[in-house]
Amino acid sequence: MARMKFLCDAERCIECNGCVTACKNEHEVPWGVNRRRVVTMNDGVPGERSISVSCMHCADAPCMAVCPTDCFYKTEEGVVLHDKDLCIGCGYCFFACPFGAPQFPNGPAAFGARGKMDKCTFCAGGPEADGSEEEFKKYGRNRLSEGKLPACAEMCSTKALLAGDSSVVSDIFRDRVLRRGKGAEAWGWSTAYGGGKQEQTRERKQERTQEQAQEGKQ
Amino acid sequence: MTTSLFKARAGSDTWPWLFCLLAVCCALAVARPALAEEPAAVARSAETGAAAQQKRQQEQPLNNAPVWREVRSGDAHFTTVRGPETGVLIQSEGQTWRALRNGPVTLYGGVLLLAVIAAILAFYKIKGPLTLHDAPSGRMIERFNRFERIVHWGTAGTFLILAITGLAILFGKHVIVPIFGHTLFGYLLIVGKNVHNYVGPVFLGFTLVMIVMWARDNLWHNCDAEWIRKGGGLATGEHVPSGRFNFGEKTWFWIGVTVLGLTVAGSGLVLDFPNFGQVRQTMQTFNLIHVIGALVLLMLSLGHIYMGTIGAHGAYDSMKTGYVDETWARTHHELWYKEVKAGKPGQSPGHAPAAREVAP
Repeated sequence: MARMKFLCDAERCIECNGCVTACKNEHEVPWGVNRRRVVTMNDGVPGERSISVSCMHCADAPCMAVCPTDCFYKTEEGVVLHDKDLCIGCGYCFFACPFGAPQFPNGPAAFGARGKMDKCTFCAGGPEADGSEEEFKKYGRNRLSEGKLPACAEMCSTKALLAGDSSVVSDIFRDRVLRRGKGAEAWGWSTAYGGGKQEQTRERKQERTQEQAQEGKQ
Repeated sequence: MTTSLFKARAGSDTWPWLFCLLAVCCALAVARPALAEEPAAVARSAETGAAAQQKRQQEQPLNNAPVWREVRSGDAHFTTVRGPETGVLIQSEGQTWRALRNGPVTLYGGVLLLAVIAAILAFYKIKGPLTLHDAPSGRMIERFNRFERIVHWGTAGTFLILAITGLAILFGKHVIVPIFGHTLFGYLLIVGKNVHNYVGPVFLGFTLVMIVMWARDNLWHNCDAEWIRKGGGLATGEHVPSGRFNFGEKTWFWIGVTVLGLTVAGSGLVLDFPNFGQVRQTMQTFNLIHVIGALVLLMLSLGHIYMGTIGAHGAYDSMKTGYVDETWARTHHELWYKEVKAGKPGQSPGHAPAAREVAP
């Protein structure tokens, strides 16, 4: 049986937020709820990296463990889903989740009136009948039952975000890492940043000559 | 499966956990402002941050170790998505909270609660209730006026509602779900959680009034020393004189109602009103304080409920009607009885203690 996983290639993510938009559009997620988000480290500085994050469908899911009504369940494909009819909106899943995946339509409201928790379903819907109107209203589209992969990964323009069977995803990523080499050898580097390797080599040469010049002065 | 995993883990390192937990909770509550500043300082250290990543990209292109350290740091980074802590990629504290809450707190909390109930029942079986030494005189004196009774039952009622709904939130999954199933329990707990969240602040209000109302009568009195020496005469049945409240009641008042009541209600407010920008770590800390405090308060309250109902004859009537028999007063609160008889003012705030004949 396939084990579904997400993988975000930090070398490829260009922070376009296409995955966020694709998700919101596909599932008609209410205002204020974002099942997926892109976080950028060192924004605007050379070496910045972005990562798209949502529910990671943990093997030992903390949300599942702390839920007072035990409303979570795991599909055969390792997707963590929940039953909104049982959700009491206590926010415990949000406290426990490392990724900040659980979202609440009312936000952090007074008297803890958060509303029913909403999170990424790996485009696998909920406990209602696959593809039913009821399921769509509560959880969004059930693409997995139609044989499609999650909309965010399908939409990703640089294929940074991969979703699917873990063995396939890891094969793609392993192959990618081996092929792309490192730094300026990376595929697409020269297209995106021009000179690529030659430029970098030139910079290094310049640095070296400067250093030598300084040493000469001393 | 997860729960049993934690139970198994909790079994190996047992008591130090509980002890450390309380200490850590207190320390965290005090040290919060300091903790909030700490991650920012770490981010600026040589290993992480923009400068480190920039340097690493030149020395070892595609080695993003500084970035992954930042991912793991729990610091907030840039994101266009608005919401609580959306810039944080990984918060590690949730796992600690989960391990403590699902592990020792649930396990030992449940075991201790059952142990207290068993101990009280055993005491009742062996010793039986406290009875009067002499026949009732038939003359009644006022012990609690109407206002005091309203405040007491207001606090008691809201406490019981909170206790039942709170226990359902912590133990329902293990106790109620196997019997009633997920669907019914889910619907019940939707009501239960909302009741808990709205009744909580009402309980705090009653508790505050109660503390102000009875604080003076619960101050230390010289006769309390003798009460402590003789253990209240609970085991021996010996007569120990005491004022309006004996030392057992005073202990319950200061440790139970005042300290634990305010701790539980206060930490509850932090959880009940997340709209002031509390971060997840704050919620986790206060949740543990709330749950542990509430469990200890509940255990103490069982002792109080026992003494107020089946544990001592006449005690329940005193809070129901407000009046006690003179013999009851002389047996349980001799000094208070003498003061009332001497007509000392201020024994029963607002009302002069009045004698009343019961209808035959």
